[in-house]
Amino acid sequence: MRNTCRYWLPIFLLGFATVTLNAQSFRVQCPTSTITHPAASNNSEPAYTSATAVNGAIKCQQISGGDGYSTMGDGTQTYMFSFGPLSGLADIANGLPGTEFPTVFNTPYAGAQPLQPGDPATTGLGTFTYNGAIGQVPDVDAQAAGLCGGSGQPSCIDGHVDPRQIMDVGVMNGNIPAPLMAIDEDDEFFLTLTNVGMIMRPDLFEQHTVHFHGYPNASAFYDGVPDASVAINIGGSFTYYYLAPDAGTYFWHCHITPPEHLQMGMVGQIYVRPRQNRVPVGTTLYSALQTQQLNLRTACNPAADILCTNPLPAGGSTGNTVTRAATGNYAYNDGDGSTYYDVEYPIQIHGFDPNFHFVGMTFNPEGFTDMKDKYFLLNGRSYPDTVTPGPMQTESVDGSNHFSQPLPSIINITHGQKALLRISDLDVTEYQTLASLGIPMKVIGYNAKLLRDQAGNNLYYTTNSITLGGGESLDVILDASDPQYAAGQVFYLYTPNLDHLANDAENFGGLMTEVHIN
Amino acid sequence: MKPMTIQIAFLKTRLLLLVLVAVASLAATAHAAAPGITGPTFNLTAQPAYLTQPDGQGIYSWGYGCTTAPSGFAPTMTGQTCNTMQVPGPTLILTEGQTATVTLTNSLPPAAGNTSILFPGFNVTATGGVAGLLTKEAAPGGTVTYTFTATTPGTRSYYSGTQGDLQVEMGLYGAIIVVPSATRAACTGGLHAANLTAETFWGETDFRLASSAYDNDKTCYDREYLFQFSEMDPRVHSQALAQVTAKAGCVAGAAGCSLEVPTEPYHPAYFMINGRSMPDDMDPNYAAQYPHQPYNGNPHLHPGEEVLLRIIGQGRWQHPFHEHANHVRILARDGNLILSATDATQLAGPALFTTTTTPGQAMDGIFYYTGRGLNWDMYGHTSTSNDPLAQLPCTPDANGYNTGAPTAINFWEWCADHTKPLQVAPSGDVGAGGPVTLPDPNILTNGAWYGGSPYLGPNATLRATGCMPGNALQTNSPNCGATGSTPPSGTIANSPSGEAGFAFMWHSHNEREITTNNAFPGGMMMMMLVDSREFPIDESN
Repeated sequence: MRNTCRYWLPIFLLGFATVTLNAQSFRVQCPTSTITHPAASNNSEPAYTSATAVNGAIKCQQISGGDGYSTMGDGTQTYMFSFGPLSGLADIANGLPGTEFPTVFNTPYAGAQPLQPGDPATTGLGTFTYNGAIGQVPDVDAQAAGLCGGSGQPSCIDGHVDPRQIMDVGVMNGNIPAPLMAIDEDDEFFLTLTNVGMIMRPDLFEQHTVHFHGYPNASAFYDGVPDASVAINIGGSFTYYYLAPDAGTYFWHCHITPPEHLQMGMVGQIYVRPRQNRVPVGTTLYSALQTQQLNLRTACNPAADILCTNPLPAGGSTGNTVTRAATGNYAYNDGDGSTYYDVEYPIQIHGFDPNFHFVGMTFNPEGFTDMKDKYFLLNGRSYPDTVTPGPMQTESVDGSNHFSQPLPSIINITHGQKALLRISDLDVTEYQTLASLGIPMKVIGYNAKLLRDQAGNNLYYTTNSITLGGGESLDVILDASDPQYAAGQVFYLYTPNLDHLANDAENFGGLMTEVHIN
Repeated sequence: MKPMTIQIAFLKTRLLLLVLVAVASLAATAHAAAPGITGPTFNLTAQPAYLTQPDGQGIYSWGYGCTTAPSGFAPTMTGQTCNTMQVPGPTLILTEGQTATVTLTNSLPPAAGNTSILFPGFNVTATGGVAGLLTKEAAPGGTVTYTFTATTPGTRSYYSGTQGDLQVEMGLYGAIIVVPSATRAACTGGLHAANLTAETFWGETDFRLASSAYDNDKTCYDREYLFQFSEMDPRVHSQALAQVTAKAGCVAGAAGCSLEVPTEPYHPAYFMINGRSMPDDMDPNYAAQYPHQPYNGNPHLHPGEEVLLRIIGQGRWQHPFHEHANHVRILARDGNLILSATDATQLAGPALFTTTTTPGQAMDGIFYYTGRGLNWDMYGHTSTSNDPLAQLPCTPDANGYNTGAPTAINFWEWCADHTKPLQVAPSGDVGAGGPVTLPDPNILTNGAWYGGSPYLGPNATLRATGCMPGNALQTNSPNCGATGSTPPSGTIANSPSGEAGFAFMWHSHNEREITTNNAFPGGMMMMMLVDSREFPIDESN
């Protein structure tokens, strides 16, 4: 099989070279200011002190749509249709979101040696620190014509890209999970999808899209459903535009032939952090939420909006005196500090059916009704890989190693602190249960909404297992401040769907990871 | 390898064509509501027929139907009928306080044995018939009668209580809707009255069964849809058919006159909403081509309308039903309102973007769409345009919406984004200065439900894509016929000049279930259309 692939690869690459020269329309978009954020600089999150202005900053990210290989828990190389990072590469490799402020995103690569296929794995994690948009270069045509860069002229960094860099880095750089994204409420988010083509399956001429799952009041245009909007052809870039929605744990995926593209790996997480994080330390959270009530876009008035879930907490200002803590963050605009956490971990549940992936790689028609996952993944890895620190890499058919699975799932909590787990499930075949052996899970959010009734009562509950179907998310807090726990303890997050504690034929592994109290 | 490649490409193309043809045959589309029959006396039968599937298969099934014409239909629709067999069974519509009498005649083949109906959530008295495990049953050719009082409103399921693993799989299930006996003032005044004014102005008919789902002001609604989820394993059905045929002449109750159809292992291949797979579910209610599958799944709504979703799991599997475009506030489960423990006027059910259906369970939820928070004007209002509709005012109410003008196209517009541009460059006659640049349309592929532009409604789409209504001059590029940055070509099901709605997919997020017998697209999927007021929604037909 591998030899066959190698035989085809040069032919397809040649074909691609032609495409990129003649018909490519790669481009990135990351304005430094907009009519919503008119300030000259929008490169940091401002404090939230009043309801009048649109707060927040500008964030940008670029992803590739294509294919790649990943390594399963039993060592099997698995072919994927996948997204890969084309911005924030160093951050992604370090397990962080690849979402960047304009000043980072718009910085062209200036390393001593050109970007290499497989980067950052090829150059190496310690040496590779670039987080800008791959391909971002000054617009030389505009420069030569004297149209940019001068006094009173726009910047020569105008989204013009060098497609060679994009193809060098973007081809076969598929990740599972897809690049992590994180934005803050009030941010404008410019997400560029660059379709580099699926080198292993050029017969498909496959478009890709981004569906921001759960985005409230989405426009059909930016909803990423190819039937209802536009899909992005090979050789093209498209920039999705979002004003960050209400805080919560969302996810995103390609919406082309979903049973195929999701099973094949085009799934990732995006979370939105609340305004409450930006409240000055010492300010009463209740009064900060009262401030949000003064702006109709950020208010929650249950009498007028049946869908809003963060009304002022019951008890009024006298019952809610918690102030913005000096450290840590909040999962939602709770007004009472009840969603406080010290560390956060995305936990993405997924499953791979090796037969489907093999069929998908070998040009055969795929069946859907008998799809059966055999690899059960947390952040793209099965146990014991889930607890291996750092990025995992896989050698692809281009001969390069790629960081295929950058995100471990090991949960480290300092004794006395709290961890927020942002759990999302994009399995396409069945429901999955995740249980905690020992430390309980307090569920504070569900489907990117605070669990609070419209009278202001928190409806949190404590449990040792949660069950999610594909397309659901849930936020839980693990509280290691309970005196019964001690540093050095290890707990397990595992699935009681016991047949899912396996890596295909290996009766060991699967959907499991560890919680370490440090 | 090569023939395989061609085969796939061919398969994909063929499927796409299939869908497009099916869609094109819809004509003006837009029909849904929650149709059913009224009582309080229901004379039902259980009998076999074939269900059609988009892959051309006819699946031998059992279903409930009417032995005689029902007392009435609600809401009234063209072509309304209650066949002697349908899947799902007739939706039984009752008013709170009514006592229902359901007489079931067992017209299944003798080998199928007895059958019955369970009404979870009701205090049922069964008379006649023969003894059964869970309730009294109708023997082959016999009848049984169930009576119960609909003491509280809500959506619930009904289904066979006899050999359920086989009989429910074969199609013996349906829905009961109990509407409140009293109309609530909160549901007929204020914004609900304004929504009704808009409906009337645009010539739309009100297809609601009631104005509230429950006896609670938080359950008012402006439009409603019922979705029943089920799946079928065709092997179970073909085995049942083979055995029924082999034992056609057997005497009920005699030795050997029974079915031995294994229902495990279970490999469903058809995943249906209201008994139909996509794209059939988007054809009209009571469409003649589906004599045994009268109910569709084709939701349409206007911005600002509160839409009641009645969702029931009728199969044996759970399905994560994902509603694109916004969350759904769950009002109730199995007819039981979920209210705050400290304030019974406030809701406490979760707001979900994925509403998991569970076997036998019904839930009611409210969905709406306004476009609030997009940060750009989805109507493409532009003060410099020559088109008066591009200059409509937006006067915010206490919550920020343009609700004072029920007859305007931009009724319910979110005023904070009024005239905010989306694109850096002007798009047709829609103004410039926004945050994004749309790419050359040649690198994009348009979907069949793409409205033709980022904007909502035919007027905005025409302005944005190069043409002006009545060939009026454009302020930016006065040449009608030229295309804007994203030409509305290749769209079929959501005409840029006629509808141009925002289309959203509502589907099972166990994505393999949006297939029909291994072919994508299909299964548990439908398109929900948020329509501009210019497009009158007709839920009948």
